[in-house]
Amino acid sequence: MTVPPPVLTATNIRKSFGDREVLAGISLEAREGEVISILGGSGSGKSTFLRCLNLLEVPDEGQIAIGDVQAPLARNRHGRLEVSDGRAAARLRMQTAMVFQGFNLWPHLTVLQNVMEAPLRVHRRDRDEVLATARSLLERVGMAGFHAAYPKRLSGGQQQRVAIARALATNPKLVLFDEPTSALDPERVREVLALMRSLAEEGRTMIVVTHEMAFARDVSGRVVHLMNGRVESSGSPAHMFGADATAAFRAFLAPAAL
Amino acid sequence: MGEHLTFIASVTALLVRAVPVTLLILAVSGVCATALATGLTAMSVARSPLPRLIQRTWTFLFRGTPLILQIFMIYYGFAMVPWIRHGILWTAFRDPVFCTCLAMTCCCSAYIAEIFRGALAAVPRGEIEAGRACGMTGFMLLRRVIAPSLVRIALPSYSNEIIMMTKSTSLASTITVLDITGVAQQVIAHSYRTLEVFCAAAALYLLINAGLSALLAALERRLDVDRAVPSISVPPTLEPLS
Repeated sequence: MTVPPPVLTATNIRKSFGDREVLAGISLEAREGEVISILGGSGSGKSTFLRCLNLLEVPDEGQIAIGDVQAPLARNRHGRLEVSDGRAAARLRMQTAMVFQGFNLWPHLTVLQNVMEAPLRVHRRDRDEVLATARSLLERVGMAGFHAAYPKRLSGGQQQRVAIARALATNPKLVLFDEPTSALDPERVREVLALMRSLAEEGRTMIVVTHEMAFARDVSGRVVHLMNGRVESSGSPAHMFGADATAAFRAFLAPAAL
Repeated sequence: MGEHLTFIASVTALLVRAVPVTLLILAVSGVCATALATGLTAMSVARSPLPRLIQRTWTFLFRGTPLILQIFMIYYGFAMVPWIRHGILWTAFRDPVFCTCLAMTCCCSAYIAEIFRGALAAVPRGEIEAGRACGMTGFMLLRRVIAPSLVRIALPSYSNEIIMMTKSTSLASTITVLDITGVAQQVIAHSYRTLEVFCAAAALYLLINAGLSALLAALERRLDVDRAVPSISVPPTLEPLS
């Protein structure tokens, strides 16, 4: 069996905010169809790391490639890394999609318009095609009856499902999830996790920053535990949640086990 | 009593003929001030310090001095400058309507730019990030994500500013413009019937502002997605995570 090609290669990502080092050199490779859960306590840098992957945060050090396209990062005259080519960065982002903790749907657009916006305006795809895709995606996430609704009218779980449909609308190579269920109440968490599980099963490449241990254990193919801006340990769920788990990861899990 | 009414009726007829002048000043300075304010807002978030400094200085000067002084300075003051007095610019600066429009454009653009600047800061960051995350840049991000939110946030304060501007147009009467207030003062000079004339003039301003308020409120309602009631039909069903 051949190993699928890497969709994402992040090498030695470092990031500090002022004096505080948030990421102390993290490398991660995601292969096609892989689902990676990133776990860690608050302040471990997991969200910052995820936001570096699509350049919403610019790392201080490191390299990122989506497929075989390098992120346009170069040093400016002060020696700081910055996005050297905005268009190239945008093209890179067009290959990815992000689902946010706070949904971040565009409030002035309807559910259907939210889903159609990126493929229609950014990718300039054919309208009929985009509409057909958007309809089937909304059907898929269980929001078929809400095409004309505005985001404000929806529950958190519904908004997040629309946001997931929006993320899939461009058929991205990689979907980044930034704590997608953290702003939801428990019953809504289930509907969003069920949807994410079905995406994983159809072979989407996903990197998920989450606090949902059941999701990490049952759905993802690899678990990465971040601590103090470093990869403390990583491996298959069976390994990470089994007898070989590191003491630090066990300590991290302990409150959840109570 | 009947004499009062016929007088007010005839005065009102005179004043109504001055309404286009008031509306002209309002329309020209309203449009120009809004356009200028948009530029100033862009300058206020520029990366290099010079545009930001220009915007701050502009606001400091035109918000910090009385509009009437600005009008006087442009109309009477610029007439003292030889190269304006004897140059091609004089055709514009000798016209009091032009001078009023120019002063109001400068002054009100400073206020409107502050309204836009505040609204820009209030556009939720997450909406912008969602735009960037899917590959939007520059103008598209501005037009598709930032502007729609900005307009909705700014509109109530902006409406307020437009209403204020309507009333400010009356200052044109101080430099000989025969707008509603100018005609009113002319009629008073002949008739000495202050109360009736000013009441009739005030009524006209009220009417104009009532119309503007209704228009702006309609726009606000139209943009308010919360009022548009969607058709929610099928409740979603999903398999729970086992």
